[in-house]
Amino acid sequence: MSAVRNWGRTEIGAAIGFVGVALIGWLDLPLAELLTVGFLSRSLQAAAPIALTAIGGLYAEKSGVFNIGVEGFMIFGAVTTAALTWLIGGETAGQNTLWMAILGSVAIVSVAAVLFAVLVIRYKADQIVAGLAVWFLGLGFGPFVAVLLWDSQNSPGLVSVENLTVPGLSELPIVGALLFDISPLVLLTAFVTIVAWAILYHTRYGYWIQAAGENPEALDTAGVSVGRVRYAAVIFSGVMAGLGGAVLLAHAGSFTGTGDTMVNGRGWIGIVAYLFGNYNPIGAAVAALLFGGLDMLQIQFQTIGIDLPNRLVNLFPYLAVIVVLTMWGSTRVPASLGDPYDSEE
Amino acid sequence: MLTVSVLERVVISAVATVLALLIGMVIVAGAGYDPAVFSRNLLDGAVGSEAAIARTLMFTTLFVLTGVSVSIAFRAGVFNIGVHGQFIVGGFATVLAILQTAPVLPEGPIGGVVLLLVGALAAIVAGGAYAAVPGVLKAYGGANEIVTTIMLNFIAIGIVGWLVEGPFRGADQSAPNTERLPEYVELPQLIYSSPDFSIVGLVVALTVTVLIAVLVRRTSFGYEMVTSGQQASAAAYAGVDAKRMVVVTMTLSGMVAGLAGAVFTVMIQGYYSDPAGIGSYGYDAIAVSLLAANNPLGVIPAGLLFGSLDSAGSYIGISSNVPAQLIDGVVGLVVLFVSAPELFRMAAKRIGLGGDEQ
Repeated sequence: MSAVRNWGRTEIGAAIGFVGVALIGWLDLPLAELLTVGFLSRSLQAAAPIALTAIGGLYAEKSGVFNIGVEGFMIFGAVTTAALTWLIGGETAGQNTLWMAILGSVAIVSVAAVLFAVLVIRYKADQIVAGLAVWFLGLGFGPFVAVLLWDSQNSPGLVSVENLTVPGLSELPIVGALLFDISPLVLLTAFVTIVAWAILYHTRYGYWIQAAGENPEALDTAGVSVGRVRYAAVIFSGVMAGLGGAVLLAHAGSFTGTGDTMVNGRGWIGIVAYLFGNYNPIGAAVAALLFGGLDMLQIQFQTIGIDLPNRLVNLFPYLAVIVVLTMWGSTRVPASLGDPYDSEE
Repeated sequence: MLTVSVLERVVISAVATVLALLIGMVIVAGAGYDPAVFSRNLLDGAVGSEAAIARTLMFTTLFVLTGVSVSIAFRAGVFNIGVHGQFIVGGFATVLAILQTAPVLPEGPIGGVVLLLVGALAAIVAGGAYAAVPGVLKAYGGANEIVTTIMLNFIAIGIVGWLVEGPFRGADQSAPNTERLPEYVELPQLIYSSPDFSIVGLVVALTVTVLIAVLVRRTSFGYEMVTSGQQASAAAYAGVDAKRMVVVTMTLSGMVAGLAGAVFTVMIQGYYSDPAGIGSYGYDAIAVSLLAANNPLGVIPAGLLFGSLDSAGSYIGISSNVPAQLIDGVVGLVVLFVSAPELFRMAAKRIGLGGDEQ
């Protein structure tokens, strides 16, 4: 199977692109109507939560801890943002309320992330099992809060984030609608992506994170606490996933707690996004955009009147995850991933 | 996971459950309900009446089967988080097989028994095949089975959901459901007169559990399976094909999950509905298996515990205004505590218990 392993990202990307084009040709889809500016900006919105989660997750994994609980942290982030919005402003909440709720939610999720980090680092909990537990807690806690507040697993319509519109510039063709009439949370994601990339590859702290995963002994010898670096990375990953959930909510405008909740696998897709992006924040964000685009295809199909059942089109991202993982399953996982590290005690 | 003795495992599981329930109580109190009433309801809902006991045993049947399914994979070092999807695919296959075969068989008890066997077989094949996919992808493509099985859960929900909404919707169904199974296809009510529980289902679950326990512990195949998971290099020296073992393990795990789906369909539903709304047996099964330290026989008491919890949860959902989702949170806490034996060891040391253990 080494032939499969040797597939590079470019080849896979090209293959996916080719299949896409073939599909468009085969179904005789009007390409111009499909790839609209609206589609791109919706894809950016859909990609933002996945990208934030992916960037957090890759920091944790680079430092040597597989945070498999990001899906759960996303649910926490989404439901606490919805709950705070409701408690502060109710159904008529405005933009300020929403931003306060996002901040509050991030604060609450950080507490949960600290507890998780203590459990997996200090108490050496099995990372896979503990991560799954976080997901289960989210699946229970999200709808629980919703039922408590709204007597239903779903919230009523709350408030969604307003686009940032630059007068004048937003009138420009294509670029105007894409860049100057944009969700501030998409801009925030782009900013986080670039900063995360710069820190990881161009600061001493970034090298520490990488060393904590690749060669903790060397880092320890150099006098840096492996535990501290890992704590920071794991807490960051939980907070980023929580922020991802908050962004998801702010774009959707209401909380859905039925089924697998509104997060619906996006945390898992985030994990695949950073694997596909080779643990590079920018690569992860690009992969997230790919998944976000697949996620938004159904709206495109609907608007141009293609009669594919919604429920099947919704499955594209999940199928893509499987294809990507199979073609690119064996990523260059940090050497000491999953091993608890003891310095002396 | 760290090496933990059997006794320690039992203690950890018990303490984890009690601790999770206590935290549940605190949350109940914090949300403004009376924890005493809540615990009373918990007990009533699990064992308070004949209907409650039948309901508890109904959930227990499902949790034992799905829990065994998870434990097979986990013991062999493979994470099958896809039991949920295999359960759905298996149950749907049961309905399809029975509905397709029913017209060619005589009606009545004999036809019913044959149809049950056909349905169970279809479920086992479908569940096994659906689980073999991530097994093959892991063994030969290196794809992380945790993520692929979870994706396959979402895909199973989506595809079966679409099938029952459209192509396989029963002619007389206003809701997205398949046609009903013929009335003579059912498990007999021997003890409790509950429409959703038959002791036959529980007996099937227990029999499968014992068979799997024997397979894992007493056969060379089981030995190879467990060593390939726990001591990969030793297994390789002994000539075990690790890749093949991954596929076989996943398939076996999926076959049991499929059978669980068949029992769910025949014993409880009698048709197939949108899988987005059928509960999360496959996920709770992970907790059941972990609580049992992935020991097939240990799944029986763990399944009973979770059966009681779920039964109490559905009672609480109806008879009080405490949201039943709290039970899912308690399940999550149990898993969280079970993941960290070191937490209990340090706590025990601190309060002066078990200080002699390493």
